[in-house]
Amino acid sequence: MKTVVARFEITFLQVLDEQGVLKTSLPAFAKDKHALIELYRTMVLTRAFDKKAISLQRTGKMGTYAPVNSQEAVATAMGHAMRPEDVLVPYYRDYAAQIQRGVKMSDILAYWGGDERGSDFDATSNASEDFPLCVPIASQCQHAAGVAFAFQYRNEPRVAVVCLGDGGTSEGDFYEAMNVASLWKLPVVFVVNNNQWAISVPLSNQTATQTIAQKAIAAGMNGVQVDGNDVIATRQIIGEAIEQARAGEGPTLVEAITYRLSDHTTADDATRYQPPHEVQDAETREPISRLKLFLENQHDWNEEQDQALHQAVKHEVDQAVEIYLNRKPQAIESAFDYHYAETPAALLEQRAEAMEEAKHV
Amino acid sequence: MSNITLLEAVTQALAYELNHDENIVVFGEDVGKNGGVFRATAGLQKRFGERRVFDSPLAESMIAGLAIGMSAQGLKPVAEFQFMGFIYPAMNQIISHAARLRNRTRGRLHCPLVFRAPFGGGIHAPEHHSESTEALFAHIPGLQVVIPSSPKRAYGLLLAAMRNPDPVIFLEPKRIYRLVKQPVPDDGKALPLGTCFTLKTGEDVTLISWGASMHETMQAAAALEEEGISCEVIDVASIKPLDMNTILTSVEKTGRAVIIHEAAKSGGVGAEISAQIMENSLDALLAPVQRVTGYDVTMPYFELEKYYLPSVLRIKQSVLSIMA
Amino acid sequence: MTIFNLPDLGEGLPDAEIHEWFVKVGDEVTVDQPLVSMETAKAVVDVPCPEAGIIEKLYGKPGDIIQTGAPLVAFVEQKEQAAEDQGTVVGKLEENAHAADDDFIIGSASPNATRVKTTPAARLKAKRLNIDLKTISGTGENNLITLDDIQQAAAKQSIPPEGFEPLRGVRRAMLSSMVQSHQTVVPVSIFDEADVSAWMGKDDITVRIIRAICNAAKHEPALNAWFDTEHSARKCFNEVHLGLAMDNADGLFVPVIHDAQTQSDQALREQINAFKISVQDRTVPAEQLKGSTITLSNFGKFSGRFASPIIVPPSVAILAVGRLYEGVKSCDGTISSCHLLPLSLSFDHRAVTGGEATRFLGAVIESLK
Repeated sequence: MKTVVARFEITFLQVLDEQGVLKTSLPAFAKDKHALIELYRTMVLTRAFDKKAISLQRTGKMGTYAPVNSQEAVATAMGHAMRPEDVLVPYYRDYAAQIQRGVKMSDILAYWGGDERGSDFDATSNASEDFPLCVPIASQCQHAAGVAFAFQYRNEPRVAVVCLGDGGTSEGDFYEAMNVASLWKLPVVFVVNNNQWAISVPLSNQTATQTIAQKAIAAGMNGVQVDGNDVIATRQIIGEAIEQARAGEGPTLVEAITYRLSDHTTADDATRYQPPHEVQDAETREPISRLKLFLENQHDWNEEQDQALHQAVKHEVDQAVEIYLNRKPQAIESAFDYHYAETPAALLEQRAEAMEEAKHV
Repeated sequence: MSNITLLEAVTQALAYELNHDENIVVFGEDVGKNGGVFRATAGLQKRFGERRVFDSPLAESMIAGLAIGMSAQGLKPVAEFQFMGFIYPAMNQIISHAARLRNRTRGRLHCPLVFRAPFGGGIHAPEHHSESTEALFAHIPGLQVVIPSSPKRAYGLLLAAMRNPDPVIFLEPKRIYRLVKQPVPDDGKALPLGTCFTLKTGEDVTLISWGASMHETMQAAAALEEEGISCEVIDVASIKPLDMNTILTSVEKTGRAVIIHEAAKSGGVGAEISAQIMENSLDALLAPVQRVTGYDVTMPYFELEKYYLPSVLRIKQSVLSIMA
Repeated sequence: MTIFNLPDLGEGLPDAEIHEWFVKVGDEVTVDQPLVSMETAKAVVDVPCPEAGIIEKLYGKPGDIIQTGAPLVAFVEQKEQAAEDQGTVVGKLEENAHAADDDFIIGSASPNATRVKTTPAARLKAKRLNIDLKTISGTGENNLITLDDIQQAAAKQSIPPEGFEPLRGVRRAMLSSMVQSHQTVVPVSIFDEADVSAWMGKDDITVRIIRAICNAAKHEPALNAWFDTEHSARKCFNEVHLGLAMDNADGLFVPVIHDAQTQSDQALREQINAFKISVQDRTVPAEQLKGSTITLSNFGKFSGRFASPIIVPPSVAILAVGRLYEGVKSCDGTISSCHLLPLSLSFDHRAVTGGEATRFLGAVIESLK
């Protein structure tokens, strides 16, 4: 007779529902009105930045860009829960976390604008050791494990936080990173922004598992699900995972459930494959409005304050755009100067050649 | 018969073969309903069904490995890597297995597969989307590497690749995906692999290139013609195996060769061609073989892209420097 | 398309008149860019653009009245901007409206050109053996010319037809030097005689001729020179390194008396004798056969008066002396017999003028009187 040797269970948390109504008790941090306003502000800023970035791309002032509309809560929660000394290893929809950690919006625009300087984050900011945006899917998971290893090696109470999409969970790098992180109890948190789509491929065509969170079980670590549009629940879960990692209790996989209410990138056309009724339904669950409702109901947040916040945020975004648009373009030498600590002689020759050629371009 | 782009020629070839060979299956990321991020597989799933044309989960190593298993069984997978920049996770499968299955089973098992990928830069894309590392594959015994440069050649060469009993890496230069339209009869006629194409005959210098750089090379040839320099232009097309006979016959006629490729200079395929010209036709050369290539740097982000890609001017200058 | 209605321009105004458009259909516009100026009852107001996009339609012309809240301008829907599906997730693909067919040749433009297929070793061997690869048919795979093919061709080439004996050694060297001279030198020969009656039988003929040459070279150094074909340059020498043509059973040798102009008669005679022996024995060292600036050929031992001797580059002159004979001369109508030495001077007209040559020969004749 066979006996059951292992079972698993995956929990799901939602604190604030679509109507802004509390479904369970507020976590401690959320009892502070200012913390909630901070989270709200970050999401509003991210959305305004996002809209502006799309507009820049549409008007030919920036290249292809990966939008984050409707997914602001996940990165907001990540950035808020991280300590300055922690390290962020993002994919390409984590602007909210990056901005909170001191990455300049103009730098993010520069990156998508084809300027490598956009990843040279301010050395005095909390993002000074953060990784740049990562395009090769899920490869950043391994880097995060490596960063966590260094923290563990040096006995530092620091945590690496890595984010990826649902598509990324099919990649080998994802499993390999979780396996080693779990085995060695590395201080890393894996956050999956499950927005249901990998370009045109829906989650149902990506994996047969009921949840993404349970993929952690295969690696011998904890996996939890959270409503990714509920910034309070997401902030709570990610915060818990980060502190557990910091305490040496090992990694966690946090699956934040959202819906991608945007194209994959500005050149994609989601209307080709996203069913309209699904999109309409998802719109009712977007993260900003529910928090606004909660603030209005619980903390007398009013229209005037909201307008002021939107104005201030618009101003910040406009400033960043100004900086981005007015930056001096790189000279061709820059393409040569950052391959080695000391540029080898042969490359210096090519550098000189390129500078000569550039005069005729 | 309408004029079609290189991209549409790819679709046309895939459709032809799907229609005539039930062993052909087309798969990759977003190739099904979405028709591919460049629409290379547009309409194919609708026409041939999900069993023949389907999306795979997001995992490049898996795509390559799966294709190897499928093809060893006699299916003929045509798998797409969304961009050459994302083929790297599949290198182990391609090099350790696809390239050597025939050899290590002494012919008992082999891999009639095609790996397609858009490659090359110049389209204002984010990082990793402009790779031109065909030399990595050209170096591997057992692989074939094909790069079309026109709609007609894309059609004929892709058909040949799909009918070939061994692995073919089919790299599509995305910069010229939609640049040119041509009449391409859908007659199912393949062009030969392992053969160069002579696009223009000339007497004074042989220009050798492939992919999107063919465009600048032909422009340079036209400009030089006006200055009284007659260029013979060769589209290598099959990077591996190389048709050196066509190249050497031409160089022995003209006495001068300029090789143009977008990929970085060191270890680029131009070095191989140059070495073989030197070994075989040194007596015929009136000047050293020249290479006009990308620099030995990571493809810059698109702000600096225009300085990196071999331009018409650089090609012209290279020719003029050896005409004295 | 997205329609933008005329906003309330101030305090509930019901309408406004289009004063002036700042955009036209098809324009690409940006946020806040001035679209149109509208004249209200109170003022002329600029209406800014609400969104970035392309103008699709203008709902009126200057002078028309537009109601507040009624359509003013329409923008092309963002996703409709492309005539067809953009079809990419990154970047911009350039498109061309025009068709451009291309003709191409599969393979080489000269398919009948025969490229020699051979290995590097065979190629080198063929070069060394002076074998034209195009004349060889290869027996290797794909008609590849192998090393064996080259060896065989060489063996065949080196067997002359029946009865012929291939030239070897010195004779072979003479063959190649004569060919080379013929190919490059522009020879002219002048013939004359010297009257040696005064000293015939008393002095050493060869030594006196050598002296005469040295003397003439002092007057006309142009004939005691080397010519460099490649650089079209010549070098005249002060010293005379006299090449003395001698032969033995094997062939022609030209040992060199260096600095002949400094040597005593006895020294010259000794050297000449020494050369005779060493040439006979074939012991003359290679060093002695190099460096002559002018050559003397005493060919007339058995027969022959005049000749057109071959100049061997880099020298530009050679003096050939024919058979001494007892001849007849006429002087003021009086006929008398005398001993005459026929002289033939060949010179390379690329480097030496007729004047120089005749004066040289004249000087030689003078010295031999």
